[in-house]
Order: sequence, then C-alpha cells, then structure tokens
Amino acid sequence: MFLHNYISKLQLDAPTPWGLFFQDSASPQMEGIEELHNNIMFYLAIILFTVTWMMISMIRNFLANKSPIAHKYMNHGTLIELIWTISPAFILILIAFPSFKLLYLMDEVMDPSLVVYAEGHQWYWSYQYPDFTNEDDEFIEFDSYIVPESDLEEGQFRMLEVDNRVIIPELTHTRIVISAADVIHSYACPSLGIKADAYPGRLNQASVYINRPGTFFGQCSEICGILHSSMPIAIQSVSIKDFLLWLREQMEG
Amino acid sequence: MIYKSKSNFQNHPFHLVSPSPWPLFTSLSLFILTTATVLFMHGFQGFQYLVALAVFNVIYVMALWFRDVISEGTYLGNHTNAVQKGLNLGVGLFIISEVFFFLAIFWAFFHSAISPSVELGAQWPPLGIQAVNPFELPLLNTILLLSSGVTITYAHHSLIQGNRKGALYGTVVTIILAVIFTFFQGVEYSVSSFTISDSVYGSCFYFGTGFHGLHVIIGTAFLAVGLWRLAAYHLTDHHHLGYESGILYWHFVDVVWLFLYISVYYWGY
Amino acid sequence: MGAIPEADPDEVLETKPFKFVTGYDARFPQQNQTKHCWQNYVDYYKCTTAKGEDFRPCKQFYHAFRSLCPKAWTDRWDGQREAGNFPVHLDK
Repeated sequence: MFLHNYISKLQLDAPTPWGLFFQDSASPQMEGIEELHNNIMFYLAIILFTVTWMMISMIRNFLANKSPIAHKYMNHGTLIELIWTISPAFILILIAFPSFKLLYLMDEVMDPSLVVYAEGHQWYWSYQYPDFTNEDDEFIEFDSYIVPESDLEEGQFRMLEVDNRVIIPELTHTRIVISAADVIHSYACPSLGIKADAYPGRLNQASVYINRPGTFFGQCSEICGILHSSMPIAIQSVSIKDFLLWLREQMEG
Repeated sequence: MIYKSKSNFQNHPFHLVSPSPWPLFTSLSLFILTTATVLFMHGFQGFQYLVALAVFNVIYVMALWFRDVISEGTYLGNHTNAVQKGLNLGVGLFIISEVFFFLAIFWAFFHSAISPSVELGAQWPPLGIQAVNPFELPLLNTILLLSSGVTITYAHHSLIQGNRKGALYGTVVTIILAVIFTFFQGVEYSVSSFTISDSVYGSCFYFGTGFHGLHVIIGTAFLAVGLWRLAAYHLTDHHHLGYESGILYWHFVDVVWLFLYISVYYWGY
Repeated sequence: MGAIPEADPDEVLETKPFKFVTGYDARFPQQNQTKHCWQNYVDYYKCTTAKGEDFRPCKQFYHAFRSLCPKAWTDRWDGQREAGNFPVHLDK
C-alpha cells in the first residue's frame, strides 16, 4: 500500500466489477481500517493454513485401511482440549483490542471545522452547509440526484455519478451529520471509511478528514425502496482555496 | 377369555384424548375475531358487532372445551399422576410465555422512558401529561392485590388440610378483592387526564396496565371456576390441578402488578 | 452548481481567523447527536428568555444548534414555540 502510493498516481475511489478488495483510502479512518484488516488477515492466513493442514493430515494418516488399530479408549485428552479452547479465546482478545481502539477513535468527532448535513430521501441525498450564511441568513442547500445512464458523459461512472457532488475541503476536519426524511437510508463512502445509518428523527455523526484531492463514490447502504440502488453518494475533495471559491459562487448564485 | 379382559386395561398412565370439535371451533372463532378486529379498526361499518360476536364465540367454545376437560379429569379419571405432571408443566410453560409477553411491554416502556425522545421534550413524563399519583389509588390497589395473594394462599392451605370452609371463604374473599381491584382500575381510567393516544406515555401506560387488567379479569374467572368446583365437591386435598393452576396464575398477575407499580407508576411519576 | 469555479489570478484572497463553536461536547460523545442539537436549541431560547436577545453569551447556543440541527427541525420547533405547544417550559 505504502509503495503503491508512491509508484502510482492513480487511486481507486469507486467500486469496480468484482472489486473484492478495499478501495484506496483517502482518510486516516480508512487507513486504520485497512491496517487492522491486513494485520488480522495475515494471522488469519496462518491459522487457516495450520488448521487445514492438520485436518487434512489427520484424514490422510488415520484412514481405516492405513491405520487398522482403532484407539477405542483414546476418546479425549484434557490438555489438548484446553489448549485448543483457550488459545482461540486469546486470539479473539488480541483481535478485539485493536478493533475497539479503532472503533472508538473513529467515533470521536473532536474539533470539526465545518458541518455538512446529509439527508436521505426516497431516492436522492440532499445536503446543507449550515455554517456559511449570506446576509439573508440563508445557507447552501442542494439535492444530489443520480445522473441517468442516458446523460452520462465520457468517463463518468454509471450508477455512481450525481448532478451535484458534495464539495469538502481537503485536510479539514469535517462533521457529517446524517439523517433521513422518510425511511431508513445509510450514508457510506468506502474510500473515506464512513458508513452510518440515516434515521428519520435522529442525527448521526461521522467524522471525515480527507487527506488528498479526489472524487469518492459511495452508495446508499440500507435498503430503502425500489430505487435504493439509484441514490449514489459522490464526495469531491478540493483545496481550501477552491472550496472558498465554490462557496462564494454558491452564495452569490 | 384372558385376552379379552386384558384389552380392557391400558398399560400406560397417559391420557390419549378422544376426537373433539373444540380445536377446530376455537381456531375458527379466533380467525373471525382477528379478521373482524382488523376490519373494525380500519373503520369498516358494523364490524363492531362481528367483533362482539367473535369474542362471545371464543369464550363460548372455550367454556365447552374446559367443560370437557373437567369431565375427563373429574368424572372419567383420565388425569392420572403422570397426566397431572404434564398439565402442570404446560401451565408453567404458559406462564413463562406470559412473562415474556409482559417483558416486551416493559421493554417498550423503558425504551421510551429511560431516554425520552426530543419530541417529548426529552423528559418523562412528557410535558402536559399528568401522571397518576402512585400514592393514591394505585397504592390501595397494590394493598388489595397483595391481600388477595394472602387470602388465596390461606384458601389453598385450607384445601390441602381438608378445611372446606376455609378454602371456600378464602377463595370468595380473593375474588371479592379482585373485583374491587378491577373496579378501582376502571375508576382510575375514567378519571385520568390522558388517553392511550396521548404520546408514547399514554400508549405505554394503557398498554401495560390494560393488559394487566385483562389478566386480572381472566385470573378472576379462573379462580371463580375453581370456587364453583370447590363448592361442587370436584376438588380433593390431593387432586385440584385447575384450582392450583389458577392460584399460580393469580400470583403471576400479582407479581406483574408489583413491577408495574414500581416502574410505571412510582418511577415514572 | 457543481463545477468548481476558476480562480481569478489577480484577485487577492484574504483569510480571516475563524473559530467554530460546535466542537466536542462531553455530554454527547456518541454517534447519536440528536440531543446535542436539541439541548442547544432549548438552551438558547431559555438563555434569551432569561437574559434578553442581546445577551451575547447566548449566541454560543445559537451557533451550536444552527450548525447541528437540520433547518426543517428548527423550523418545526419555532412553529411550536409560536403556537405555544413546544414540549419544554423555556421560562423555567
């Protein structure tokens, strides 16, 4: 991953067909998730190999025709049973501790610099930027609909592109407040490592800190009706300067 | 000859029930009851009469069924010790299922009351709800129900010791206390300032106390049947399973009230 | 909407210090922020009821709920306050 970041300028920020692996991370949270995952997977592979090897060799070496003597009275062994019960418990504890640490780190929204409010509707997301108001006390507010297949331009993602992307400044702590207007939706973006259910009447928060420019795609992740698949999420991170220019245009326009 | 007389004896203690129409009739009555209730609640005209008819039908079929069970147990001698064991187990499991039914109601209450939503002003009881003072009628009702627990225990012990008069009077007093309790709950409902549709407070309150009240009425009927069978010499000091089940049920209703009183009335005041 | 506008190379952009008020609140450490928004809304109107509209410290609550609460929510609560059926006594 580390090397990859240096070799390649191309980053994977959108789902791909048969994309079994993670998209490239764009936030410390996602980096934490990936690191935890890779760590656990390393030991998991060792365990899987060891256990499978033991099972197969048991089956191979103790077939009835190979080993005609049946051990009639050897039907349990307290020591080995203790070992194979307690050691998995320890492994689970070793997995649990970094998991919880990461979970609570991700939960924390310590000192955000701005709030983006995302609201799920059947079937689109709408956004508010309540921290920036003009003289009439109005703030930026827009709906974000999917771009239908017939309107797609060259290079745009089918079922992922939206007409109005969420613009978030890079290297800025952002609190995304998530709610819904009708049924339960879920706001998710794999590259940023966020996924939070959107409930009517409840505000959930997620912390976002995007560490590189780019456009990150996600999808509604709680089945919400027939067009559940047609309310994608597109988050674009820009430099602070570009963000301010965008803000000004929004406020004036 | 020897083969003929052997066939007259059953070589196991269990009761193999004979064909009966009541399961089918009960099912049909319950089906009509649920259908009619749903349609009535959706505002279909005249369905309240079908609901009433279906309630009557359910109770009527149950009465006929229980009459048959009484005949089997008391007159036909089908309720051997082994059968009584099974019936007791069934009653116990039924009461456990009832416990979980009330657990769900209490769960709904605590879910709403421990962390009241912002729509209620984040407070319990919500603004505008004048909760029932737990030290007025509810306290009297608690005393009534606890006393009824004492009198029914007196009646039970009297029956076991062969004291017919004590058993009869104890049961009569219990039923009187139960009827007074139900009457007072009715009084409380009629004077309370909120209804079942007044926020989740009203819903939880009437959901809990209403189902408890229904169980009190059922328990009273249960004990009343026991009283009648006591008076009709159905029960003996060793065989009074229906009566004992009624007592167990009554204690269950009593305990539910204590939990209701402590959490819904006292803690939620 | 949508595209990021081109910057005018001649324009001098000035950055001003900016302090955001709705940071961490130890009363609401969870993901669920419903009551974080609600409590600040209630506190603001309790504050202005007690101290008057011009009492500056009240503004802190205003900025907090303004930042956290969806507009539709505060509009509904404003309506309830005007109609007199807001579920909290703001003068107590």
